[in-house]
Amino acid sequence: MEFGIAVVQALLLVALAPLVSGSARWMRAKMHTRRGPSILQDCYDIAKLFKRQDVRTAESSFVHRIMPPLFFGVMLLLAMGVPMITRFSPISVLGDVILIIYLMALPRFFFSLAAVDSGDAYAGLGGVRELLIGVLVEPALMLALFVAVLATGTTNVGGMGEGIASLSAGSPVGVMLAGVAFACACYMELGKLPYDLAEAEQELQEGPLSEYSGPSLALAKMSLSMKQIIVVSWFVAIFVPWGSATDMSLASLAIGLGVWLAKVAVIFGACSVIENLVARVRYKLLGRQTWAVVGIAAFAFVFCVLGI
Amino acid sequence: MGMLLISSVISAAGAVLALCTLRFENTSKALGCLAGIAAAGFALAAGVLGVFAPAEPVSITTPFSFANFTVMLNPLSGLLLVVVNLLALVAWIYGLSYLDEYKGKGMGAIGFFMNLFVVSMNMVLVADNAFWFLVFFELMSLASYFLVIVEQKEQSVKGGFLYLIMAHVGFLMIMISYLVMAGITGSFEFADFRAARFEPGIASLAFMLAFLGFGCKAGMFPFHSWLPQAHPAAPSNVSALMSGGMIKIGIFGIVKVGLDLLGASDCQLWWGALIVIIGALSSVLGVAYALGEHDIKKLLAYHSVENIGIILLGVGIGFVGVAANQPPIAVLGLMAGLYHVLNHATFKGLLFLGAGSVLYSTGTRNMEALGGLGRAMPVTSVCFLVGSLAISAIPPLNGFVSEWFTYQGMFSIALSGGIAVKLLAAFAAVSLAITGALAVTCFVKAYGVTFLAAPRSECARNAREVPGPMKAGMAVLAVVCVCLGLGAPWVAPVMESIASATTNAPALAVAAGADAVNPVLGSAVSTPLVAVLLIALVLVPVLLRAALGKGGSARDRDPWACGYAPDANMPVIAATFASEVSMFLSPLYTARVALARTSGTFVALCQGTVRAAAAVEPAGDRYLVDSVAAFVKWLSRYVRAIEGGNFRVYIVYIVAALVLFLVLAIMVN
Repeated sequence: MEFGIAVVQALLLVALAPLVSGSARWMRAKMHTRRGPSILQDCYDIAKLFKRQDVRTAESSFVHRIMPPLFFGVMLLLAMGVPMITRFSPISVLGDVILIIYLMALPRFFFSLAAVDSGDAYAGLGGVRELLIGVLVEPALMLALFVAVLATGTTNVGGMGEGIASLSAGSPVGVMLAGVAFACACYMELGKLPYDLAEAEQELQEGPLSEYSGPSLALAKMSLSMKQIIVVSWFVAIFVPWGSATDMSLASLAIGLGVWLAKVAVIFGACSVIENLVARVRYKLLGRQTWAVVGIAAFAFVFCVLGI
Repeated sequence: MGMLLISSVISAAGAVLALCTLRFENTSKALGCLAGIAAAGFALAAGVLGVFAPAEPVSITTPFSFANFTVMLNPLSGLLLVVVNLLALVAWIYGLSYLDEYKGKGMGAIGFFMNLFVVSMNMVLVADNAFWFLVFFELMSLASYFLVIVEQKEQSVKGGFLYLIMAHVGFLMIMISYLVMAGITGSFEFADFRAARFEPGIASLAFMLAFLGFGCKAGMFPFHSWLPQAHPAAPSNVSALMSGGMIKIGIFGIVKVGLDLLGASDCQLWWGALIVIIGALSSVLGVAYALGEHDIKKLLAYHSVENIGIILLGVGIGFVGVAANQPPIAVLGLMAGLYHVLNHATFKGLLFLGAGSVLYSTGTRNMEALGGLGRAMPVTSVCFLVGSLAISAIPPLNGFVSEWFTYQGMFSIALSGGIAVKLLAAFAAVSLAITGALAVTCFVKAYGVTFLAAPRSECARNAREVPGPMKAGMAVLAVVCVCLGLGAPWVAPVMESIASATTNAPALAVAAGADAVNPVLGSAVSTPLVAVLLIALVLVPVLLRAALGKGGSARDRDPWACGYAPDANMPVIAATFASEVSMFLSPLYTARVALARTSGTFVALCQGTVRAAAAVEPAGDRYLVDSVAAFVKWLSRYVRAIEGGNFRVYIVYIVAALVLFLVLAIMVN
């Protein structure tokens, strides 16, 4: 039964991925007071890309070829471990926070490696940027999670959500601040403006994706959207767990699904608004902003140690 | 123990044979390598036996009461024997082809010193007497020193000298530590050290000296600067053995002194805290400096500093756990450290062998001049990729498992400890997180710049795949990396038994079914499940692409370069990574300049000593021999005046002498 939930979550992820990117485009058009494409436009795009030829550079190797399916597969795997509909992880041994962080590093590794592999100068630079964003975000992410672990006494995402939902967590202010820091870190991970440095269109011409085409590009684009959903669900599962299904009854699962969809929609709506209000951060100055987030997480840690 | 004896005899025989046949280089190489393989096989078996069935100490009495030859095989030394001899085995197999590079450049000597090196490491691990421990420790340092300088180039001689100095600085501190303990117990037997209960001050002194001394050997921060100088200079299979095996003896020593020899004394909390802090600094700085390197072997050597840091984080948590009287957490931390010892040996050995293969087929270690090797050297490329993923702690490979246990140790100790311990654990966790992210960056660089994109030089274009034995050596380690990762639920209990035997703690259930478990927090992770699901879930899009993709595929385009003709120097190179990272982390690189002075100071100190010795050494001559010589010289100047060379004068002398004696004779009578 739990495995069934895991499969449903994975399928849900695939189904929602084009809608998430499509709705971001729709939202952008609305904020520009344009009519814009339909929300389903990305579904059409992906369907069309699958019909196109898959063209690669002469230098590229198996790494370039394996990256999109690998990225896609890892996101499906994460969807089986990160709680979405339910409070608990559908497959609990996949719900450990450390495992999730390090599983996220797997597609990042290949994403950047494929960029280097293509032999394209822009792609390579985008790959390096992708890695460095990871480096700069990691400390804030870890410190915020550390606070959540200290407050709830478990490293399982489901358990952490349970602890916070039941308000039994040790230090409410610390946890709230950690949530803020975690949200900032997650936003940077989403790759949306002002932090879309790796794919920065005007600077790097789509960065690591610039040498992809056809079905591979479709898979890679979908995977990027899937990653956004996973990251948001991860945040929701730990810090905003209210409303998700705590048992396996059909009614609570249905409510859990509805609540999760609503939460994700609200968060992506907010992200779209932010995305369209700001300009891209200067890459060189990214470090200052990430260290500020580490500062928030450090405050959260202090509050947590003091038990406030 | 018998197995180890056989192994030592074979090694010694191999060393002697390699030396005897020095002139016939192929014979010498073959004899050295085959003896090495056999010896490593026996020692590996001995190590496995040691882990599962520890042996009682065996002592051979010698005429000197302090030097009774006592050996003991406990689970900890068994694990290290496995680590060292697994690498030795692979290094010898690899050497069958690789050592051809050294034809006419002391190939026979490599066989001799390498056999000596391995046997002395094995003996250090089982020696249970301070005197013999130090003798073999020194033998190990010297044998490896000669392996470092085997190329006799300026760089290797310089690196070798730095290594020799640091090894002896460490040796001195370890010796003083043992002498302190021996002075109080009145014996050089480790058994007596174990039984004695030292005053806290004395125990701290002994531990600190040993920690710093073994830390020099382990290459921990701030004694790390010899690693990137010495390891690249040695033949690559020796680098693998040094970086994977020898520096672990430093870790072994820290654990042995702190938890075994001082086991009856109280373990202080600040020992553990110091180990954790040094570990955190080593890991972050090691990987940050690795990112700045363009020499592939130097890059790997800096990664050894990083991984020693990660091991120290685990071991430090173990010490904190012992000091805080939390046996389960102590076992958890220590087992994480020991697991990483084994893991690091496998993936770092693999990566050094991969770097050796690159060097073998292209003749350069400079990544800027490589690129595109993946097509010419597919086996090397795939093995290096496995090693890169493992060292970057990517699940489900082995690096991830030990780092997961390290994190679990940190979370567990933070939940049960006071404010200071919480701070320490948070600092350690954040450092490990940064390290992990930087390691991913660094290995995308190492693998991508070396093996992917277009070749950037003639030597990279002409690269060929390496011969069979070298491929076999790498493949064995790649398979072990995967097995140690996927087999985590079955390997972790073995590591746990070693850790609990070392800390005298009750057993801990660290595995349940196919899950690796932290029983303190109840967290679980299942690498076999991750692997199975990952393969299945990656197959879905692969099949999807194959089934739905209607346009076919082509691999014939040039990369897009804004309308310019693309060339191989346009894409990212090693310097791109280095400059981007140094932009964000410049303080760490500024620190390096200051830090590099530590070992520089030791070298300057030593060179000062050499100069002083040069000044003092002729003092005896100047005051004793010289004065006599001057007197003789002075005398001879006057004597010359009466020696004219005219034979008539000599006749006069003889007559005068006769007359003189006659007069004397008459006077006496």
